[in-house]
Amino acid sequence: MNAPLAVEAVGLERTYSSGHATVAALAGVTLGIRRGEFVAVMGPSGSGKSTLLNVVAGLERPTGGTIRVDGEDLATLNEEALARHRSKRVGMVFQAFNLLPRFRVVDNVALPLAFSGVPTAERTLRARAMLERLGMTARADHRSNELSGGELQRAAIARALIGEPAILLADEPTGNLDTANGAALLALFEELHAHGQTVLLVTHDAQIASHAGRTIRMRDGRVVDQ
Amino acid sequence: MSLGNYGRARLRSGLTTAGVAIGTALVVLLIALATGAEDNVRRSIFSIGDLRLVTVQPFQPGANGLSAVPRTITDDTVAKLKDVAHVDGVYRQFDAPLGMVVEGGDDATIRPQGIEPGAPIDRGDLLAGRHLEAGDRAVAVIPGNIARLVAPNVGAAVGKTVTMRVGGAVKLGSTRIGGSGTPRDYTVKIVGVFDEQASQTSFRIPLDDALLAGAENRGLTPDGIRETTGYSGLAVEADDSINVADIVKAVQELGFSSFSLKQVVEQIDQGFGVFKGILAGIGGVALLVAAIGIANTMVMSVLERTREIGIMKAVGASPRDIRTLFLAEAAYVGVFGGILGLALGLAGGQIIDRVIRQLNPRTNPAAIFVVGPDLALGALALALGVALLAGFLPARRAMRMSALSALRYE
Repeated sequence: MNAPLAVEAVGLERTYSSGHATVAALAGVTLGIRRGEFVAVMGPSGSGKSTLLNVVAGLERPTGGTIRVDGEDLATLNEEALARHRSKRVGMVFQAFNLLPRFRVVDNVALPLAFSGVPTAERTLRARAMLERLGMTARADHRSNELSGGELQRAAIARALIGEPAILLADEPTGNLDTANGAALLALFEELHAHGQTVLLVTHDAQIASHAGRTIRMRDGRVVDQ
Repeated sequence: MSLGNYGRARLRSGLTTAGVAIGTALVVLLIALATGAEDNVRRSIFSIGDLRLVTVQPFQPGANGLSAVPRTITDDTVAKLKDVAHVDGVYRQFDAPLGMVVEGGDDATIRPQGIEPGAPIDRGDLLAGRHLEAGDRAVAVIPGNIARLVAPNVGAAVGKTVTMRVGGAVKLGSTRIGGSGTPRDYTVKIVGVFDEQASQTSFRIPLDDALLAGAENRGLTPDGIRETTGYSGLAVEADDSINVADIVKAVQELGFSSFSLKQVVEQIDQGFGVFKGILAGIGGVALLVAAIGIANTMVMSVLERTREIGIMKAVGASPRDIRTLFLAEAAYVGVFGGILGLALGLAGGQIIDRVIRQLNPRTNPAAIFVVGPDLALGALALALGVALLAGFLPARRAMRMSALSALRYE
């Protein structure tokens, strides 16, 4: 597989200080994820897998090493540029869905485009098209508190994909779903992957990780197998 | 999005907006009241006379509160003032001793004022006849009240000849109010009658007649009067009121005291500026309270929406986007509060105006509250400015929030 790297981490470190104690969430992570790959990052709680995802998403800055996403060195980006990185280069799916309850589903999906300067009419049109693609047309004008868990996560995926990101990041996306909805969601990831979408999924569950094309295992802030 | 947020917490937004509205209304009402009072005073002053005039008085102001020093206004003074830039005309005036019109009895006390044709004092206030003209001698333009003493009406007085007694004891009823020297009678023909609102005693007579009367009263010649006593005053007319200050300066440099309505108006403007400032300050306190309300509302809003801020940042909102979002919400409070406050101020002014007029029907017919475009726009800008200022710190707090911490906020 010779596709260019979507994510490239070299000696990546992220430490937290609390008083005199220092905790290394990432202790020299080196890895590469190629475009079009479906990669699961697996490890026990505290292994650093969510921190890795947050660093790739630009939600956290590393304290050492380098991280490139779609060729861009995130360490060189200021806060404004990091925001653009989050709106255009990556799409994030959270375990807790994180939709805005007072917005309609279509408005939630269109939200990232609002911060990219896309006009209102166009972003609504694109959001509806994305919801249709994910089979959520009927729920477009509902408020998020009227949706089931599975629907909420689909809406969250629609929001993550609306900016046509280079990489889709998912942090325990099935954690709040029942088995049936979890399975449907994984099927959706597989389908997206089949259409060329790069997916980086974080989970502690080996069964979920088995849906990915490759699994990176982490423990104590280090990659132990990839 | 900001408008949606503003509308979401309707009660809270409404109360905060009401605070701004009350503050703005108070500022508008108080400044409108001061402006109305200023306009009335200015209008009264403008009705007194011409702002282009500078009156030169025959003394020099004493320094540091000392008594004024008498100075003689001569033809040399007149010549020098005529050469001053922006001077359109210099009119001499000589006040002869007080006197009376014999035909009018004891009530006809007069002040014979010798003036030159075209003098500012003798303009545009005629009830009948004409003003003084070049070459006039032994004529007078008299006030309406005296005209009615010597003729059935002001029109009938024109063309009538009366005896003007200058000097001697001048009485008002049984009280001696002035007069000097030996009384001397002069026959004058009434050529005009002016509205007595300007003066009830002034007899406008040709300058040379007044000088003659003054000289004869004191046993001098008119030239002797010119050199020793000098003129009673000069009316210096500027080409434009904006040049009055330069002329006043020139008069003072010649060593004479001066008076101009323009200076009075400027002093009144200064006084009202301070007055308005104080009133605006009182209104400003109300706006300050409103600003604290806005800040409180915004801080609460930021706290309540911490997780929302985190979500927005996670999907691509930049710190600037977040700051703009919250500042826009504060701006809505300011704009809506400002508009509402302006409307309240205007309506309140109208209501108070009506109540005052009902309680006192003799109230000056001019507007008591004056809200010009400056005040209206200024009040809106002030409300918006206060709201943005109050929203700045909460907006900055939201802007600086860590996306991850905000996402984890419960």
